[in-house]
This record gives sequence, C-alpha cells and structure tokens, in this order.
Amino acid sequence: MRKWLGLALVVALVAAPAVAQALRGKVAVVLDVGGRGDLSFNDMGFKGTDQAAEDFGLEMVEVQSATAADYLPNLRNLARTREYDLIICVGFLLGDALAQAAEEFPNQKFAIIDSVVDAPNVMSIVFRENEMSALIGALAAMAAAHHGYPKAGVVLGIEIPVLYHFEAGFRFGMDWGNKKYAAVTGRPANVELLYTYTGTFSNIALGKAATEAMLAQGAVGVYNVAGPLGIGDLEAITEYHRNKGTKSGPPYYFGVDANQDWMGKGMHGLASGMKRVDVGCYMAVESVVRGTFKGGVVSLGLKEKGVGISRYQDLLEFIEFGVKAGALKAEDIAETILNWQANRATLPDWIWAAIDELEAGILNGTIVVPTADTVAEMQAVRALYTLGAP
Amino acid sequence: MGMGAEGGAKPGPDGYFLRAERITKVYSDGTVAVRDVTLELRPGEIVGLLGENGAGKTTLTKVLSGLLPPTRGRVVSPRGPVRFASPREALDFGIGMVHQHFALVGTFTAVENVALSHERPLTPLKLDATRAKLEALMAESGLKVPLDVPVEKLAVGEQQRVEILKVLSQDVDLLILDEPTSVLTPLEVDELFKLLRRLRDEGKAIVLITHKLREVGAITDRVVVLRKGAVVGDVSTAAVTREELAQLMVGKAVGTRAERAVELSTDEIPAHGSHGHSERGPGVLHVEGLSVAGTTKPIAVHDLTFDVYGGEIFGIAGVEGNGQTELVEALTGLRPALKGTATIHGKNILGLDPRQIYKLGVAHIPEDRWVLGLVLPFTLAENAILGVHRWDQFRGPLSVLRWGKINAHVRALMERFEIQATGPNAPAKSLSGGNQQKLIVGRELAKDPAIVIASQPTRGLDVGAAQYIRDTLVEMRDRGRAILLVSADLDEVLALSDRVAIMYEGRFMAVARPEELDREKIGMLMGGVGVKG
Amino acid sequence: MTGTGARPGDRLLRGVHRTLTGLHPAVESVLAAILGLLVGAVLMYIWGYDPWRAYWALLKGAFGGDYEIASSIARGVPLILTGLTFSICLRAGMFNIGAEGQMYVGAAASICVAYFSLPHPWHLVVGILFAAAAGVLWSLGPALLKLTRGVSEVISTIMFNWISRFLVFYLVAYVLVDPRQAQRTVRIPLSARFPILVPGTDLSAAVYLAVGFALFVYVLLWHTAVGYEVRAAGLNPTAARYGGISIKRTMVLSFALGGVAAGLAGAATTMGLPPTYAIISGLPELMNLGFDGMAVAMVGRNHPIGILFAALFFGGLNAGGRVMQFYGANPVPLEMVRVVMGAIVLAMAIPELARVLPAVAGAARGLVRTLSPKARKEAA
Repeated sequence: MRKWLGLALVVALVAAPAVAQALRGKVAVVLDVGGRGDLSFNDMGFKGTDQAAEDFGLEMVEVQSATAADYLPNLRNLARTREYDLIICVGFLLGDALAQAAEEFPNQKFAIIDSVVDAPNVMSIVFRENEMSALIGALAAMAAAHHGYPKAGVVLGIEIPVLYHFEAGFRFGMDWGNKKYAAVTGRPANVELLYTYTGTFSNIALGKAATEAMLAQGAVGVYNVAGPLGIGDLEAITEYHRNKGTKSGPPYYFGVDANQDWMGKGMHGLASGMKRVDVGCYMAVESVVRGTFKGGVVSLGLKEKGVGISRYQDLLEFIEFGVKAGALKAEDIAETILNWQANRATLPDWIWAAIDELEAGILNGTIVVPTADTVAEMQAVRALYTLGAP
Repeated sequence: MGMGAEGGAKPGPDGYFLRAERITKVYSDGTVAVRDVTLELRPGEIVGLLGENGAGKTTLTKVLSGLLPPTRGRVVSPRGPVRFASPREALDFGIGMVHQHFALVGTFTAVENVALSHERPLTPLKLDATRAKLEALMAESGLKVPLDVPVEKLAVGEQQRVEILKVLSQDVDLLILDEPTSVLTPLEVDELFKLLRRLRDEGKAIVLITHKLREVGAITDRVVVLRKGAVVGDVSTAAVTREELAQLMVGKAVGTRAERAVELSTDEIPAHGSHGHSERGPGVLHVEGLSVAGTTKPIAVHDLTFDVYGGEIFGIAGVEGNGQTELVEALTGLRPALKGTATIHGKNILGLDPRQIYKLGVAHIPEDRWVLGLVLPFTLAENAILGVHRWDQFRGPLSVLRWGKINAHVRALMERFEIQATGPNAPAKSLSGGNQQKLIVGRELAKDPAIVIASQPTRGLDVGAAQYIRDTLVEMRDRGRAILLVSADLDEVLALSDRVAIMYEGRFMAVARPEELDREKIGMLMGGVGVKG
Repeated sequence: MTGTGARPGDRLLRGVHRTLTGLHPAVESVLAAILGLLVGAVLMYIWGYDPWRAYWALLKGAFGGDYEIASSIARGVPLILTGLTFSICLRAGMFNIGAEGQMYVGAAASICVAYFSLPHPWHLVVGILFAAAAGVLWSLGPALLKLTRGVSEVISTIMFNWISRFLVFYLVAYVLVDPRQAQRTVRIPLSARFPILVPGTDLSAAVYLAVGFALFVYVLLWHTAVGYEVRAAGLNPTAARYGGISIKRTMVLSFALGGVAAGLAGAATTMGLPPTYAIISGLPELMNLGFDGMAVAMVGRNHPIGILFAALFFGGLNAGGRVMQFYGANPVPLEMVRVVMGAIVLAMAIPELARVLPAVAGAARGLVRTLSPKARKEAA
C-alpha cells in the first residue's frame, strides 16, 4: 500500500507541479489533554499522520496540551511560524480553539477529527461511530444471552455529542442482537444495558472502578468509549478472570477506536469498534500533498472503511502497532493470536455470521442505524431502545 | 563505659543501690543546675527530694536516670561506676522514672502502651506476653487499671498508674517519681502512697520529687533538701520538723542585710514594701468566691475571695502550678470561671473577652511573653499595638493603619522604657528578653490602666532589666494604680508587695503584710502546711 | 501552662522575616530558579535532549515578544487569584486547599449571566459578583465546620472540592448545558466578556481584576487593622486572643476573602479566556488551576506582590513549555517539559516550603484532632 501511495505521489508531482512547489514540508498534530499513550484515539491520530509524513517525505511535529487553556495558544504558536502545510487537530475538544485560529489564520490549512468547524480552510473529518457501535452492541447482546448474562456495559468518557453516536449505535445494536437471538434460538433475550459517563478521558482509575461496578451487576463485558480508560476497563476484567480462575470467555473487553483486541495478550478482547482516526489523518495529509484539500465535512463510515468491527487481518496490523508502542513484546505475538482465537471460539459461529449480516445490511442501506448529536436526540433514542437503562 | 543490659544489679555489701558522687550539672547556657551533689539511694527506702522551683530536683534525677550526662562527678553502683548513654540503658540497669508529663499514646490501651515501651526496633509487639505480665504485676502490687481501654479515656490517676506499671514491668529496682501527686485527687494520693510503701517493703529504692512538706512527712523515710542546686540537708524524716524543712527549703534570712546580699549575690532586691506609703486607695479589683478549672485538674482555683486596692501591690507567692496561672487567665478573659464574681470598679469582668476587660482598665503583663505577650515574627511596631490596634489615633478611614503615628508612638515607648532596638521595624524576636519584656510593659502601661496584672514579670531577665521592670511597677503603684503581682520569685514578691498572699492548691493559705511573715512560715505555707496564729 | 493553643503559630515563627539562606528573598528565589534550571538541564541531557536549545525555546516562547509576553501573563491570571486564596488563609494560620472547588462554583455562577442581558460593563460586573458570591458561599462550608465542630480545614476543603467537582459536572451536563452543543454550557455573551487587550492572544482585561485584587489583599493585610488581626491570629493565635482579637472572626474573614479570590479565578477563566467562554464537560480549562495556585503561592512566598511575580513566572513556564515541544530539530515532548517545569517549580518553592512545613505539621495535628473522638469532644 505504501508503495502504491508513493507512486501516487510521483504521479501527483508530475501532474501538478505548482501544488508541489507550494509545500513547506511540515505537518503538525495537536493532541488534546488526553495525550499520547492511550493505544487508541490519540495514538491512532499520531500513527496516521506519521505514516503519511513518512510516505510523502514530510517532517512531522507533535504538540500535546497540558490543559484546555493550551489549545488555542498551541494552534496559534504553530500557525504563526507559517512553516506547516497542515495542522491536524486530533479530537473534538479542540473545536472551539480551531474555529478561532482558523479565523485568525485564513491562509493556514487545518483539519480536525470528530468536530465540524465551519471555515473554508478547515477539513472536518467525522465518523459514523453509530455504525460500528451497532455491530459491537449486537455482539454484546448475543454473547450475553448465549452465556446467560443479564447485562452488557458501556463505559463512556465526557458527555459530548460524539459519544452520543456510540451510545445510540450500541443501543440499536443490542436491541437488534436481542431480537436476533430470540429468532435464532427461539428463546427470548432481554439483555439490559449498563452505561456510565465517567466525565473523563484521562482518569484510568475511574474506568476501572466503573467496570468493576458493571461486572458486579452481571455484565457480559464492557465496551470502552473513553480512550485511555480502556486500560482500566481491561484491568478490571483481567482481575475478574484471575479471581474466577478463567482464561477466556465472558466477561469480555470491547475495545474502541484502535483495534485493541491484542491488549493483555489478547486474552479478553473479543472485538473492537474501530474508528480509523489514522485513516482520517492520512487522508487529510494526502489531500494537501495532492492539492485536493478543501474545507468542509468529510464523513467516514463502514462504507468508506473509516469505521468497522475488528477482524483477523486487523489484529495483525495492530499487533504491529502495539509492538511499536512497546505495549506488546514481539515474542508474545503468537501467544496473543492463539489467545484471541480461543476467546472468539467461546461464541458459536452463528453469532459471528449474524454480525456479518448486520454489517451487510448497514452497507447496502437496508438497515439504518440511528444516531444523536444533541441531548434531545439522544433522549429520543434512549426512549426507543430503553434496554432497562433510559 | 556503658553497663548495658545486665539488669537488676543487686545492692552491694555497703547496702546502697546507687550513689551519686559529687555530681555537678552545668547547662550550655551557663546555668549551674546541680552543684556538687552527693547522694546515696538504698533499697527499701523512700527518699523525698525537696526543693523550690529551680532547685535542681528534676535535673538531678535526669542525671540519675540517664537522660542527661553529668558535667562533673559520677554515678556509682556497688560494682563500680556506671554511665548511661540513654534512658533505655538506665532502664535495663534497673532505674525507671515516672515523669510529670506522661509518655503514653492516648489512643492505645494500657497493654499496647506497655508493650510499646518494651519494643525494640523491628520486633513485633508482644501483646499476649505483656498482658500476662501486667496481670501478674497488678495482682502482686494491688495496682488496678483497665487494660483494654484507650488510656486517654482513663482518669489522670489511672493514667499515672499505667505509667508506673509500665516502669515496674521493666523489673526496676529504683523508681523515681517527679511530682507524682500534683495531678491527683486526695483519694488517688492515698492510693499512690499505699502502693509506694508496698514497693518499698518489697525492697525497691524510691525517690519522690516534691515540694509539699505534708507529703514528705507522710511517706518518706529520708529527705534530701536541695536549694540552688546544692544539698542543704540530708536527714531522716523522723528526725526533722516541718519548720526545719521549710527553713532549709526556702533559705533562712540569716544575719545582716549585707550577709544576705552576699548569699543572694546579684539577686538582691531592695525592699519596696509599704515603707512610707501606707495609704491605700479605693478598691479596684474585687474577687469573690472565684473557682476556675485547670488544664489538667478539674479545679485549679478554689473559691477565692480577695480585693486589690489602688496604690498597692498585692503579691501572690507560691510554688508554680498551684492555680496562679488559672487565676490570672480567668481575670483577663483568657479562661472561663466556674463560679464566683470578679469586678473592676464594681463592673463585672467574668465572661468578657480580653478586649472588653482591657477597656475596663485592666493591663496584663502575661507570664509567657513568647506565647502570650508577643507575636514574635511581628515588628516592634506591630507588637506595640497588639490589643490597642483599634485605637482611633492609630486608625484612619476604612480602618487603614496609620503607620506614621504608630511608629511615633513606638519611638516614644522606646525612649521612655529604654528599649534597645534598631527601630520600630525590628522584628520582636531580634530583641533581648529584657527589651521584649520592656516592650510589653510599655505597651500595657500605655493603656493607662486602673490595675496591672503582672504575671512573672521578671522571669528570665538579667538583673538590670528585672530591676527596671520592678521600679516601673512600684512607680505605677505610687501613682495610685492597683498592681496584682504573681511571681514564683519569693524575694521579689516580698520586696515589692504591700500585701502578700501565699497560694497553695488553688487557695490562699494566708494573706498578710510581708513584715508579718518570716521565711520559715512562708516555706510551710508554700508547702501546704497551715500555720496557726 | 497556657495549653497548646500557641503551638502552630509558634512554629510559624521560624524565619518569617528571614529567608532560608539569609539572603534577600528575591536573590534567594533567583538562586533557586538557577538550581531548578540546572536540574532540568541535567535531566534533559540524560534523556538525549539539548538543554540549551530547549531553554532558548522556553525563553523565546515565554518572553520573546509582545505576543509571547501577553500569552505568559494571560496564563498567570487565574493563578494569581487561586494563589491568593491559599496565601490569605495561610497568613491566618489555616491550610485552605479549597481554591479548586471554590473556583468551580465561581465559574458555574458566572455562566448564569448568559440567561439575561445587560449593557456591556454592567453585564460583566454582575458576572464577577456572581462568581465572587459563589466562591464565598462555598468557602463558608469548611469555615463553619471548623468553627462549630472543630473539623480540620484540610479535610473539609478537600471534601468540598470533590462535592464541587461533581456538582459542577452535573450543572454543566444538565442545567447550564447548551442544547445544541451538549459538551459544554451556554456561552458567556459578548457583553459579559472581559475585552481582549492584545488581539490574537489570550490576554484579557481579567488581568486588571487579578492584579487589582492582589494589591487590595496587600493593603488589607499590611495596612489595615483588620488585616493586622488576621496576620496576628495566623502567627500566634494565643497572643492574638490575649490582644482581644477574635480568632473566629479572622478565620471566617480570611476564608471568605479566599473564596472571593477563587470565585474570581473561575470568572477570569469563563469570562476572560478565549475561545470557549463556557465550561466544557469535564472542566478541562479549570482543572488544577486551584492546586497550581498553591505552588504559585509557595514560589511567591505567600505575599500578594510575590504572587504576582510568581504567577507571571508560572505563566511564562507554561507558555514557553508549549514552544519547547516543537522548537528545533529535536524538540522536547510535553512529558519531559513538565518534568523540567516540575523541577524548577519545586526548587523555587523549597525556601517557602521549609518555612511553612512546621505549619503543615500543625495542620496535620489538626487533622488528627479532627479524627480523634476525644479532641472532638473538647472542641465542642
């Protein structure tokens, strides 16, 4: 793929020399207070931009923010240098700061993940997280019904509209899974939802605490929708297994953003709702290099491969990602794959086939997953798919 | 040479357990606390160590128990000289001390406290063994304490018993008790004495530090009297009268003035009594039936009634800790009274706060100038307005302090009271003790009070500063003000006062003109022995 | 014996007018800063970064021009106020850890101005008053607990911080929420914002409020009878009582004044910091400003004027630290920047910490007293 892109670059250089001359040779990634090391959202933004910079021969600079008051100054500091072809804001929280900076620096190209900033020099990249969350929700509900667990859990971060996409999709998916289970087995399924907005994207301990509480109430697993908090979620699940003396099976961990199935040597990660922030960042850099950059909203869903549910080939790619980040040892790769396969085998094939069916339905438009961007819309979805947790 | 953990050295053929030989202790500031003291302690004997405040009793026992090294002299056991590097070594040798302030952990039970005292670094507490030992000890000694209650919940007497058990559990042969009765009720004192006699009969050597003559008579076999660090008497209790002891303790006013001056060296205080000044003015302070609770005792001041008149110095003498502090605090608004009345010019002062009392004409020279009288990090100027900082002359609109006027006021004070300092902005703690005290006196007298309550006004001061303060008080008296003088310095009280009260355990043993009291009588009264006639 | 009442003040005595080294405080601070910079340089060198280039970036980013200086000042504005909260109470002999929570409620209160309209300066003034009032109300909880029940202010202010945190979480998510932007509250309208002083930077007129309040506190503490009482009570409560000063009064007063400062810090952030002019879910703009204020107070030696300089220094470190991340060929990542900043701040706080630590021990004893049933009885 990299070679192909390199070729594309050559073609681009030949085809549009004027654009190529305008390149300054540097791109910047600005991260929010969550920072690096989450093996998820922020690391993916870094990964995608880094990959693009390498492929297109650019220099990449990464700027983290100590507090929210640093967002706007960080953007200004970078834009003032006039050295950057593109400044990518990884994260919804940077939206307000970017709106201001885009106005102050109209000649600077920006991109932002997860937020819509209405300015001609900003490419707003958003994801249809509701689609992949529906797949995870369906899987969680069917897994719970299959193993006789009464609940499935979601640990969320700060209550922001992006997270409503996840919650709405997950609710729809669970409802779909409950119905599917009843239809296939002839036994009714009433798996209920447990969800918590922890109010943080950085306090890992809160993720662990929330997960422990959900497991105590009989959750078959927990879907992490709070970036780094997943580390805490997985810790709670791992401890639960250790105390029970089990190695695979429920409770499961459902990763987010990246493919997190490999974490903890793949023992408990069943599937991840992948939101390919790296794909979005790569795409933005590529558009600048090719001279096709333009402001406006770019929406990425299952169809654009911007989101998805993790499968075997994704596992291999992200194992490499984990090894690079130092979170997984190279000698553990084989064991990780075996663990993951064993864990997946704790569910019958018909469930996996049902997930494929749901995905196909979403892709061909026969199934429409609801979403929510405001409190009112979220409440409407909650009313529609109550699942014991309005 | 340390004679560490051999423990329980038995008395030698001479029959003594421990002998202090020509012990002298000089503190680093030059104070000679103990002077050439030789003392023998024998098994089966209770020795009373008698003396006024500062006579050197506590220092001597600290040397014996290894808390302080002697400057000169040595401590000898029948097996040769001993030297203890720490109280631990002294304890291992068989010497235990019960201090006035208990060394107990309040939230621990008796068992835990005693186990803690046996603890060595990195060894676990042996709670079961300790409990067994304590139970045996309690049965043996008749000393009963609840073992499983946090000691802070126990009465003071019980806490003391825990402290004694703690020491006894170390198998000591010599038990030293520092003023053990000062915190006890009479009933508890009787219990304690019973216990001490029993321990003596078992063959322990016991040293009892006290200033109470009655106790000496009641419990000791032998009494050693200390005055100014030296032994002035070492006699069998049976062979001495209370009068003789009182004389030894307080020091006899011997011979002529000149001779006495030599004896007291620089401490000579010219008499200021009522010579040529016998006219006393109207009553200023009237106290009736006043009772005040103490910090450790339920009642520190018992039903006191007295008056202080304009133009007189009313002195209160007595060993410290007999209720003087509580009395002064109650009269100055720092401590609530239990009952009774106190008025200034007929106006009640009990229950008022210090500022209201000051407004009625009371100036207070507190006994502890560092804790009460001054804010040490504050400047001279800031200290000079403590309590009067809301005077109109010091405040402008919006309560803004007029530092110019304040500094002028301070300079005037510095001049009038001869305060040596670099200026109004010098930190108070950079001043010498004498200048600090002059600052307080100056500040208080600037209030133009009707009565000055002066508590230990010359303590710790050099001769010149002390004399200056005394002269100032006399001058105030001569100008018709009332002075209530509380001092542990007997010479000072006798020299300055027009009338003297001797305070003992919260009561006045006597109120008289100084010339009506001889020193023997005063010594008896201070020791709690009533005098007829 | 006069009891133990005098002890905490007694321990505060050591070196109040004297510095750790006996040098002038400013000289001592500069020496401490150099020591901190050296430690930071060694750390960076060990981890393979170029200390000289990094410090050059720090200096340029902090004070390299009008834009940089304005950014540094802007970053220091709320820290002046939260630093004052801590210092006022320390001067009164108490450890008020509550600036954080008082600031949250102050910020939330200021948001309320979005629900009505007024002409420009008045709308802003009303918001400031709201924030100050909320800060005071929140500070009175711990003050009254200490007064009536003897509860250690260390414990109660920390507890109030947590209550405040979750209360404001709730307010942001459900009460003050912007119906179209659920991640934050409604925004402060233009008429209630502090005007930006230097266009293109974060520096708003809130700096006048902060500096003005610091000067006010200085005058109050050192030039009025009320402030005199507060300082006397803080240094030696027993002597203060002897001097007719009501300790309870000075306590409540200093807590309330600290509450005002913390509330204003909240307002300075919501009404004076672009671009959001609202509270975001999770409070990322406010988080830790109260605690950082304690460090500022330490570096500023708990003196209002010292705090002004310390806050500027902190603002500069933060503003310059942002630049260290992308300056030069081998930029220093934020994690390392923060380690270096920590070393510098710690070194600069040491002289004051050494002075105040005995008082910390006093506060710890207060804490123990709160926890011990016997002491509670006595206090009652």
